[in-house]
Amino acid sequence: MNAILPLSRRAAIARFGGGLGTLGLLASLPGVASALPNAASPMRALPHFRPRAKRVIHLFMNGGPFGPDFFDPKPDLTKFAGQRPEGADLRTERPTGGLLPVPFKFSNHGKSGLPVSDLLPFTAQFADDLCVLRSVHTDNPNHGPALLLMNNGTMTPRVPAMGSWCSYGLGSENANLPSYVVLCPGRPVRFSILWTSAFLPSQHGGSYINHSNLDPKAMIPWLHNPRTPADAQRKQLDLLAEMNREHLATRGGVDAALQGRIEAMETAYRMQFAATDAFDIAREPAAVRETYGKGHFANGCLMARRLAERGVRFIQVYYGNSQPWDTHSNHDPQTRTLAKDIDQPIAALLGDLKQRGLLEDTLVVWGGEFGRTPVSENGNGRDHNPHGFCMFLAGGGAKGGMSYGETDNFGFKAVENRMHIHDLHATLLHLLGVDHERLTFRYAGRDFRLTDVHGNVAREILA
Amino acid sequence: MNHQRLTLLGSLALAALCAISSTAAESKALAKKAAPQIPWSFLPLRESPPPKVRNARWPQTQLDHFLLAKMEKAGVKPAATADPRALIRRLHFDLTGLPPSPEEVEAFVRNFSPSHSPTFSPASGAGGKVSMRESEQRAVAAAVERLLASPAYGERYARYWLDLARYVDETASWLEKTSGAHLYRDWVIKAFNDDLPYDQFVMRQIATDQMGLPPADRPALAFLGLAPTYWKELQLPPDIIKGTVADEWEEHVDTLSRTFLGLTLACARCHDHKSDPITAADYYGIAGVFASVRHAEVPTMGDQFWLPVKKARESVSALEKERDELKKKKPAPADLTNQVAVIEQKIAGLKTNTPHFNMPMATAVEDAALFVIPAANNKGTVLDFKPGQARDLELMKRGDPNNTGAVVPRRFLSAFPAKDGQPRRFTTGSGRLELAQAIVQEAAPLTARVIVNRIWKHHFGRGIVDTPSEFGPSGEAPSHPELLDDLTARFIKNGWSIKWLHREILLSAAWQQSSLAPDSEKRDPENKLFARMPRRRLDFEAWRDTTLAAAGTLDRSFGGVATALTSEKNLRRTLYGTVNRHELEPMLRIHDFPDPAAHSASRTETATALQMLFSLNSPFLLAQADAFAARLEKEAGPALNDRVTRAHAILFQRPATAKELALATRFLTGRETDKRAWSEYAQALLASNETQFVD
Repeated sequence: MNAILPLSRRAAIARFGGGLGTLGLLASLPGVASALPNAASPMRALPHFRPRAKRVIHLFMNGGPFGPDFFDPKPDLTKFAGQRPEGADLRTERPTGGLLPVPFKFSNHGKSGLPVSDLLPFTAQFADDLCVLRSVHTDNPNHGPALLLMNNGTMTPRVPAMGSWCSYGLGSENANLPSYVVLCPGRPVRFSILWTSAFLPSQHGGSYINHSNLDPKAMIPWLHNPRTPADAQRKQLDLLAEMNREHLATRGGVDAALQGRIEAMETAYRMQFAATDAFDIAREPAAVRETYGKGHFANGCLMARRLAERGVRFIQVYYGNSQPWDTHSNHDPQTRTLAKDIDQPIAALLGDLKQRGLLEDTLVVWGGEFGRTPVSENGNGRDHNPHGFCMFLAGGGAKGGMSYGETDNFGFKAVENRMHIHDLHATLLHLLGVDHERLTFRYAGRDFRLTDVHGNVAREILA
Repeated sequence: MNHQRLTLLGSLALAALCAISSTAAESKALAKKAAPQIPWSFLPLRESPPPKVRNARWPQTQLDHFLLAKMEKAGVKPAATADPRALIRRLHFDLTGLPPSPEEVEAFVRNFSPSHSPTFSPASGAGGKVSMRESEQRAVAAAVERLLASPAYGERYARYWLDLARYVDETASWLEKTSGAHLYRDWVIKAFNDDLPYDQFVMRQIATDQMGLPPADRPALAFLGLAPTYWKELQLPPDIIKGTVADEWEEHVDTLSRTFLGLTLACARCHDHKSDPITAADYYGIAGVFASVRHAEVPTMGDQFWLPVKKARESVSALEKERDELKKKKPAPADLTNQVAVIEQKIAGLKTNTPHFNMPMATAVEDAALFVIPAANNKGTVLDFKPGQARDLELMKRGDPNNTGAVVPRRFLSAFPAKDGQPRRFTTGSGRLELAQAIVQEAAPLTARVIVNRIWKHHFGRGIVDTPSEFGPSGEAPSHPELLDDLTARFIKNGWSIKWLHREILLSAAWQQSSLAPDSEKRDPENKLFARMPRRRLDFEAWRDTTLAAAGTLDRSFGGVATALTSEKNLRRTLYGTVNRHELEPMLRIHDFPDPAAHSASRTETATALQMLFSLNSPFLLAQADAFAARLEKEAGPALNDRVTRAHAILFQRPATAKELALATRFLTGRETDKRAWSEYAQALLASNETQFVD
C-alpha cells in the first residue's frame, strides 16, 4: 500500500517525512488517515522496543466483580462471617454489615497450581496462561470516575481512551477496519466518553458496535448501500476516481489531502466487504460457535477473535448493558449466573487464540472498573471497592500461571505489590512495546499521556 | 510503587500533567534562576509603518506590505491573482460556508473582468494593469459587502465560535439543563451579523446581566452556563466531591482563558511554572469567580413580565401535582373525571391568560458562592450554595482541594496590572463584570491579538500564530509579529469591528492569491510566508450545507431549537443540528466535529473510510443525490451535455471540460433516461474532491 499518504497537510509530511514514529500510523494509513503529532511532540519511532503483544482484547466486566469469588481465596471471610473484626479497616462509602463469606470452592489448577474457584471450570483449564493481578486499586468508588480511570487514565472526562492511545501510537494492521473497536450489547455507563479520542485525531476513537443485533449491516453505520448493487457502485466509484484524478492533475498532481481522500474512498469500498466478513460470526463453523457457547458475551468474544485475527489493534468487549456486575444485593446467585455466562466463552477465546498461534502476541485483559467489598451490603450484596481488586492478563507476553500482589486477609485493600491503574496502563503499554512516558501528545500547552506522571511497569509479570 | 499516591482526586491527574510539560523548562529555569519572561503577546501593541517593498504595485491593503517584505527577503514571489471563479467560490465559503449560485458566479466574473464586456477597451501598459486591478478590487469589494450583509455570514462565524465555547444543545439527562442553549447559538449568530464590537461581544458573554442591558441579552451567558458539569454523588465524603467541583471550576477557567486570552491558565492550577508569567495565585484569583457562580435557567424578560409568569408556572406545577395525585388515589373518587377536568381547565386558563407564559429561559449563570461541606450526619456531602454571595479560594497545593494554602483574593492576572500597578480586584458580586472588563481593557492587546489571529486563520488556513489558543510561552511564535500588531492596533481603532477585519483581509492581494504556486509550495511547504492560498477542505458543516444547496433542498429558516441531524426532514444548515455532549451524533463524530466537552481551538482534519461510507451509502446523501439529479433535469432539460454542464456550474462554479463531458457520457450512455443512473452520477459529484476543497 505504498500509494498511501498521510492526509494532513503536506507541510507535516515535509517536516516529518516517514521517519516519525508514527511508523505504525503511516503504515496503516489507508483510509484510516493520519494526523501527525505536532512538532513539539517528543514522540520517537514506535514501538519503542520489541513488543510482546501486538493487540489487546479487553474483556470488561462492567459493574465490578469481586476477586475473592474467583482468584483470591480468603478463608478469613468464613472464619469471621458476619463480623467486623476489631482493628480491621473495613470502612466503606455506603453502610455495610459484617464480612460476607465466599461460598465458592477453590482448587489449584495446571502445573502452576494457580488457585481458581469452581465458578470458572473452563477458564481454570488455562490456569498456566493466566497472570492474575490481585492487587489492582483505583481512586474512586463510583462507577463513572472508576470507568474513566480504567479506560482513559484520569477521572476528568476529556482525555483519550487507552485504546485511542494505542491506535494513535501503533496504528492499525488492517487498513480496511477501524483500529479500535468497542463491542457492547447495549451501553455501558458513561458510554462513548469511555472510548473517546478526545484531542487525538478522530480516527483513533473507538468504533462502538452494539452487537446485540449480529447483522454487520446493523452494527456499522452506513456499511451497506440500501439500493446500489456492488457492481453499479464500483462503476460509480470508477467515475468518481477519474474525476478526482482529473482534479488532482489540474492542481499540480501532488496533494496529500486530495490523494488521501481518493485512497480512503477505495478503502471504504473494500471495507463494505471486509467488515461484513470481520463482524459476521455466522461465518464461523458450527463447531467453533459451539465452543464459545451462546449469549451476547460469547458472541462478543468470538467477534473479538475474528477482529484480532484481522489486525484490529484494540478490542474491548463489555460484558453487558449498563453495569450487570454491580451486585449490591443477591451477590452470590447473581455472580453464579454471570460466571457461568463468561466462563465458557473466555476459555474458548483463549483456546481459539492459542490454537491459531495468536495468543502469543494478543494480550487478553479481564476485569471490571473496581472490585467489591468483603463486607455485606443490604444483607447479601457487596458494595463498590476501589481499594483492592482482581484482574487477569493472558498471552501477549504476560507471565502465565502466576498471581501478582496480595490483598489483606479479607480481600479489601491491596497490600503487597500494589498496582494502581496507572501501573496497569504502563505495563500494558510496555507489553505493546511502548514506553508509557514517551507516548505523548501536546495539547493545550501540555504534553498529555495515558499515565499522567505516574505509572510503573510491573516487571515481575513479564514473561 | 505507588504507596505514596497523594489523594483520590482527579485533579491530581491534571496537576501531574502540568508537571510534565514544565519539567524541562523548570530545570533550565532553576539553573539560570531566570525570572518569568514576559511573552511577546503580553506587550503593548506597536503600530509600524508599512515596510518598503520593491514590487510596489502588488499590495492592495496595508497588510500586504508586511507580507511582501518578508517574501522579498526570502526571495519568494507571491502567487498570481486567483481566477475569478476560484475567487468567488473562495469568498462565499470563507464568509458564508455556502457555495455561490451559478448566477452569482457569472455576475461576479462580468464585474471582475470588464474586458469581457463589449464596451471596455483594454488599455496597454502599466496603466491598463492598474485599472484592471481596480475593477477587480471593486468586484471583490462589492461581493464582500453583499456577503457580509447576508444572514449566512453570521451562521458561518457563529459555528466557529461555538467550537471555542464547547457549545451543546443537550447533555446527559442527570446533569444541569441546557434548554436555552439554542438562544445562545442564535445570539452569537446575530452578534456576528450585527458586527457587535468584539470587546462588547466578550463582555456580554461573561456578564451581560451586570451591564445594565435588557434581559433579552441574557442568552449570551450560556458561554458560562453551558460549561460541562460532572456527576457528584453526594453520598460520598466532601474530600472527593471537592475534587469534582474543583474540576468544574478549572474547566471554566480553561475555556475562558483559552477562548478570550489564548492562554492555558489551567496549567497553573497546581503550582507556579518558573518561566511562566501566570502563577498559581493568578489561577485561583480567577477560579474564585467561578466558585461564586452557579448554573441557572433565567428569564429572558424583565421582572414585570417574569414575576407573574413565575407565579403562574408555580401554580401550574402545583395543580399538575394535585391532578396526578388525584389520579393515583385508591379507591378512585366517583367524580374523578370531573375533578381532573376542573384542574386541567385551571391549568389551561393560567397558561393562556398569563402573558408570555412560555417565555424562553436562557441557560446562564447567577452569582452564588459554593461551599462543599459534610452532611449533617457526617455521611456524605452537601453542596451549600449561598445566593448573591461570593468567595475567595484558598490556593490548592498541587491542585488538591484538600491541601490548601493562603486565601487568594479574586483578581485578574498579575501580568496585566491596572493603572494603579496592581491587578484589578474583583469586588462586585462574583466579579464577573470586573473580570470581563479586565479582559478587554488591561489585557486588550492580548485579547485583540487572539481574535485577529483567529479570523486570519479562518481566511488563510494558518494563523500568524498557528496555535490559536496558545499565546503564552508554550505557543508558537508569530511568523509576522509586526503585521499582527499593526493589524490588531487598527482593529481596535476601528471599534473592534470584525467586519472591518474581514474587509481588510479579503481585499488584500495576499488573500486573493491563487492556490497554484509550485515554487512557493516547494520552498515554503508550510506557507509561513503566505505566498499563496492553501487549498482548504470544507468542514462537515460546509460540505453538508453545500450538498443541500446543490440539491436545491436547503431550508434557510433561521435559528430556533435544534433538530436531529438523523431526521430525514432536517434540511436545515448543519449548525442547527442537535449537538449532544453525552452522545455525539455519529455523523458529526466521524467528520472531525470536536468533542463538545472542551474548548476546541481548531479542527483536526482526517479522511477516513467511515467518512467515505457516509458519502457512499448514507440515506442523506442518496436522497440529496436524487434531488440534485431532479434539479438538473428540471433546470437543464433532457440533453446530457446540458445537464452535466449545469451540474458543474452549480457545484464547481465552472463549465465542464471536454474530458469531464466524455466521462459523464461514458457513465450515462444507454441510461440517459434512468433516474437512478443520474442520481449515481450526481452522488459522485457531491462526494468528489472538488466539492470538498476550496482553491
